Amino acid sequence: MEWIDVGSAEIVAEEEVTAVQAGGVPIALFRKEGRFFALHDLCTHGQALLSEGFVEDGCIECPLHQGLFDIETGEPRSAPVTVPVRSYPVREVEGRLQVSLETPSA
Amino acid sequence: MNKDTMVVVGGGQAGGWVIKTLRSEGFTGPIVLISAETHPPYERPPLSKNLLRNADAISETALLSEADLESAGVEAWLGDEVVEIDRAGRTVRCASGREQEYHRLFLTTGSRPRIPDWMAASRSGRAHVLRTIDDASSLRAGLASTGHLVIVGGGWIGLEVAASVRDMGIAVTVVESASRLCQRSVPEPVSHWLRTLHEGHGVTFLMGRSVEGLVDEADHIGITLDDGSMLVADRMLVSIGAVPDVALAQSAGLEIYNGIVVDETGQTSDPAIFAAGDVTNFPCSFAGCATRRESWANAQNQAIAAGKAALGQAVHYAELPWLWSDQYGHNIQIAGLPEKAGEVLFAPGPEGATGVWLSLDHDRRPCGAIGVGAPRIFRPVMKALKNGGEIDLGGWEAVNNAEVQ
Repeated sequence: MEWIDVGSAEIVAEEEVTAVQAGGVPIALFRKEGRFFALHDLCTHGQALLSEGFVEDGCIECPLHQGLFDIETGEPRSAPVTVPVRSYPVREVEGRLQVSLETPSA
Repeated sequence: MNKDTMVVVGGGQAGGWVIKTLRSEGFTGPIVLISAETHPPYERPPLSKNLLRNADAISETALLSEADLESAGVEAWLGDEVVEIDRAGRTVRCASGREQEYHRLFLTTGSRPRIPDWMAASRSGRAHVLRTIDDASSLRAGLASTGHLVIVGGGWIGLEVAASVRDMGIAVTVVESASRLCQRSVPEPVSHWLRTLHEGHGVTFLMGRSVEGLVDEADHIGITLDDGSMLVADRMLVSIGAVPDVALAQSAGLEIYNGIVVDETGQTSDPAIFAAGDVTNFPCSFAGCATRRESWANAQNQAIAAGKAALGQAVHYAELPWLWSDQYGHNIQIAGLPEKAGEVLFAPGPEGATGVWLSLDHDRRPCGAIGVGAPRIFRPVMKALKNGGEIDLGGWEAVNNAEVQ
């Protein structure tokens, strides 16, 4: 698996979202209970950046139409979104965050 | 024929969300969708925006594609219309002659554009309304040969179309009979901001003027106004509001009052019949009275509630009124009932973003807000409106019109 450095672990706080790029792909980064998660930074309903949205109860709320995605899995959690947003593996290595754009094997 | 069938009449946002909800909540029986439109259920917001510029944007509108309907096991009778409901026999009859029994019936027939008499008489094809994909396609085709578009009605549809066609370089004149824009949904300072925004993009406004007649000419139209003047245009859009499409419900004897009267579960005066979306008059807990709302969010959320209620779930539809508009790259969000303002406060957004207007009612309680480009200010306000929470008014300043650019 190829890992891409996206910055220091300090760039994302609990209950917040941070926009980064990994190999040209827009990524929304999250920290939940000390663990890190990465979603593709584009809502599957409208043309909106999830990184401009709001984190609440383990979900990211799209800033345009209030759809909710689970930040751990990208699964849709409320209307109008019904299509999951892609989730990417993240790991922390010596205070740095790394994202993989590959689909994790099952 | 199957007596367990759920029948949905009308294939817009509300009809689509009834179907999605029935399936996501575990209903596995037959569903029949009957829609006068030939398109599977779609969302209407792109019709006044991208779909006017780009025919390919039709994919942005899809709520349930034909493939989605098929995989959900929904039988779709598109391009057909229910003409009669036999409530005693729980059967609907279509214009095509087809009949279908129902266990529960959902009326999601929406609203239709208000068409003035002078427009109904026009035969030129140069006077448009905008409600359906077909309306948008017709207007888009006409815009290719339009140098000057007159828009009658300065509400959200009119202003969104004005913004879309100004981006295409077409001259726009808006004729509005009220003294300000979007009078029914925003307080005066926001009307002023909207007008300034559009004038900055070259839109001409004729306020306090109404149209009295339309003259079809060979290659243009003449629009006569109530002051005796005439506007010459290539084409016009009439966007002066909508009326609920209640004809079917009315002929079936359901209770009607400014829409189909429903309770907080979406149930009509017939317990086997539900309704949702623009067509309903429902008890709005935020407004404290029965309300009819023409919005994407209401159509979605009321339909979800009605779908669940029809499956026997306990629901109570009590959403905060909310709508949005996109104009010239500005996302404008409106929550609550900001038009009820006795006083308006304003907080500017960060880094040059416009900001948020907060309406206080006559008892100085927050009753609604309008946010433009300042989601970090707007969202907590919206949450407080929804939950009845306190809003610290410390950082807000009273506005008069000229201050906000």
